[in-house]
Amino acid sequence: MTVSREERSAAGRVTERDIAALLFVADMYAVQLDQLAAMLGTSETRAGAIALDWRRSGYAESARIGPGRPWVWLTRAGLAACGLPYTATSPALSRLAHLRAVVSVRLAFEAAPGYAAAGAFWRGERRLRARAGGRVGLREHIPDAEVHWPDGSPVAVAGECWAIEAELTRKTVARTAAIMREILARTGDYGCLAAEARIPGAAARHARVVYLCSPAARPTVARARTTLGAAAGRVEIRALPDGAELARAAASRPVPSRPSPSRDSPAPQVPR
Amino acid sequence: MIRRYLGLLAVLAAVRAAGRLAKYAAVALVVIAAAPVSLVATGAVTVAWLRGWPPRRLYRAALWCLPMVGVWLAATAITTRSWRQVAAAPYLAWLASWHQAAAGSLVRAAVTIAPAAIPAGLAVGGLAWSRRIYTMETHSGGRFPTAPATFQARQWRRQVRTAKARIAAPGSVPLLWHNGAVVAGAVIRAVGHPGRDLAMIPYQRLRSHQVIIGTTGTGKTTLLLRLWAGFLARGLQLHAAGTGQRPLLVVLDCKGGADSRRIADRVRRVLRDAGARSTAVWPDEASLSLWDLPPGQLTSTLIDMVEHGTGAAAYYTDVMEAIVTLAVGAPAGPPAGAADFLSRLDIGWLSMAYSGAGHEEDAALLRSAARHITDIALRYRTLLRRLGSGLDGPGSYADADAWYCILEGTADVPVAEAQARALVDLLAHYAAHGPGREILLAVDEFSAVSRRLPIWQLYERARSLGLAVQVSAQSWQGLAPGDDDRYRIAATADGGIWLLRTPHPEPVTALAGNRPGMDTSRRLRGNPRWSHEGSSRPRETPVADPALIRTLGVGQAGYIYRGGVTYIQVKRLLAAPAALANPAVPVRARQAGQEPAASQQEPSAGLAAAPAGPPADGAKHPAPTPASAAAAALLDEVFGPEPG
Repeated sequence: MTVSREERSAAGRVTERDIAALLFVADMYAVQLDQLAAMLGTSETRAGAIALDWRRSGYAESARIGPGRPWVWLTRAGLAACGLPYTATSPALSRLAHLRAVVSVRLAFEAAPGYAAAGAFWRGERRLRARAGGRVGLREHIPDAEVHWPDGSPVAVAGECWAIEAELTRKTVARTAAIMREILARTGDYGCLAAEARIPGAAARHARVVYLCSPAARPTVARARTTLGAAAGRVEIRALPDGAELARAAASRPVPSRPSPSRDSPAPQVPR
Repeated sequence: MIRRYLGLLAVLAAVRAAGRLAKYAAVALVVIAAAPVSLVATGAVTVAWLRGWPPRRLYRAALWCLPMVGVWLAATAITTRSWRQVAAAPYLAWLASWHQAAAGSLVRAAVTIAPAAIPAGLAVGGLAWSRRIYTMETHSGGRFPTAPATFQARQWRRQVRTAKARIAAPGSVPLLWHNGAVVAGAVIRAVGHPGRDLAMIPYQRLRSHQVIIGTTGTGKTTLLLRLWAGFLARGLQLHAAGTGQRPLLVVLDCKGGADSRRIADRVRRVLRDAGARSTAVWPDEASLSLWDLPPGQLTSTLIDMVEHGTGAAAYYTDVMEAIVTLAVGAPAGPPAGAADFLSRLDIGWLSMAYSGAGHEEDAALLRSAARHITDIALRYRTLLRRLGSGLDGPGSYADADAWYCILEGTADVPVAEAQARALVDLLAHYAAHGPGREILLAVDEFSAVSRRLPIWQLYERARSLGLAVQVSAQSWQGLAPGDDDRYRIAATADGGIWLLRTPHPEPVTALAGNRPGMDTSRRLRGNPRWSHEGSSRPRETPVADPALIRTLGVGQAGYIYRGGVTYIQVKRLLAAPAALANPAVPVRARQAGQEPAASQQEPSAGLAAAPAGPPADGAKHPAPTPASAAAAALLDEVFGPEPG
């Protein structure tokens, strides 16, 4: 990270990297300090100082609410400043592990050269839910994120949309398979009319669903995939990246950091 | 003299006014002296009024406070070791609370008197609320002449609001109660039935005949789905416990069309969540075999499936029956399918079949009816072609936990009638000779196809076979073609009658009977002043109010059973999301005698039965496409290869 505190103070306003980081935090509900540091490409000390600045500006809140590093999340003012229609709330303790896992997955994607080269972008669950508004049915499942590979990008998966699921705990095979089917059968965007969500014969919204699993959840997910028949080919299973698990993160495992930005690299793309 | 008389009148008026004032003052004194009780009672009545609660709810709350009173008295007994102190505890607490309140410690005062004041206040509030309802029901209360009607209308709205709030709370309305009863929804109001928060229908009532009447868009399908799911869930529970036979639900949807297909999909998903292993949709995805019927029954069914005439045409019917009997009962055995049967309706085939010794009479019959065989074959060829392959097997009711049969009663009445006849005959045969199952036959708009199988006949047959029949219609008139049949159906619905909004509910509400009520007339001396004069007379009021039935909202139903009615806000069952199309072999492609095909089973059922590890049939993932290979490579780069 190259943004100095003096630079920030002198400017009297947030920097471009601050904006990207605020949007990142807003989209992910909350991030831990080491993940924020990885996102900014700086040290944890520096990330802590930046988070402190955000706190002073009233944009963010931070606290040590779980194992490991402190958590940072955006306040109502921060979300308003970002122009995001999310409800400001502190992260639920029961979701901390899941939030950390999803942030780790996003960081891992964004650290991959192919991802940046393709100009792919991440659409998190919070954004999907916000888009759906009050139309999320009680039984409707929303993936942890979508990864969009823009048309015309120099990858073979250009034009595809992937659903991302981070699995830490074991569900039943039936439930996991039902979620897989629902995601793979979906044709409409989240927030579309119910009648458009699943149109027989229409192209599926998600070309594939990527499961990032903890060792405990992996066998269940694998078994669920085998029940899908031909659709099983659209389900990819991988292990969660290092440092994705909260318990391990408390023991200071490294977090994959994003490549340092160069002058030529585009700013992170934040879809609306 | 006149002055004295006027003076006397003035004195009398003054005395009356003073008396009234003294009465009001005494009441006010009591209310103030018992302020804690008064406050609780006022709060209780206000809450009951706002939420449309019946008084018994306040009484129940008061009863639930008794443990607290018991603990309080026990603590008093232990600390004072005096029974007199225990007896005087409420009074002493009251006295102490006043002293504490006077000293400015209101919280302490409230805590001191709470054990005595809360139950007493709730009970007093219940009495006051009960009195209020009584005066309104007997038309002897209210400041304005319209007050009773307004009160009832407002209470209904509040009761509906409360019931809706109850069903909206996640998990508050389970499908089955712990005693096995099926929970239909939240109770809005009960008349002549025990007042509960939830409407619970014992499973045995679902094993009896029921009638459901409601116009389109009133939530009839939602109610039916809940009852069906409850029947299957409870039946499967009992079966698993070894105390009941496996349940079977057969739905005859006699409307047909795209709407029926949508409902069938919803039914399948709801029943899957209720535990049904498989739901067959006939004739789209599953088939039954008419030819599994024994020869005698098969002949009868085949004859009844064809339209008959009367008068001179009766002769033709006799001839047709004779030929069909010969074709079905041929020495070679009954036909195995439609093609086999049609091939037998040929003079050459029949002559050959009955050419052997011992069949002289049949051969003679054949010769006399020979000139009609071509016509009969033509009729059956046309009928069986129009029926499609839904009845040509393979398959039987044993193949699934639930069958949703779609009959095109709107588009093609004669075909639907023939199908209905065949399906009912097959079910009757299965019930009588099958493995023994608890069967619920639900028929929607059956009157549309009941020309050849009168619904009362269906009722009687079902009763004799131990089947429960659930008849639903959009109106009283849609229940059956004639009034006699309608009354016969409604009167024998010993599992209860469900009434949703319908414009003509009187014949059904009359079956619920009347209850004694009271009409009070008062003398109005200027709005809103009432004189103390008036009279009351008993009257009979209908248990189920037809006017209320006409105004029921979507998802609201009146359940009439044994002279009482419970108005219910039905809880909608959320179906699981639609699944991907299963690529397994279609049901029609099954061979007779094999297990039900995967496509006939629910996708989730297949998952539930899936063995651990890779599928036994060695199913492999499809060959990777360039995109999927690239995706896998990209993921390998980010997260490493797929873990083994």
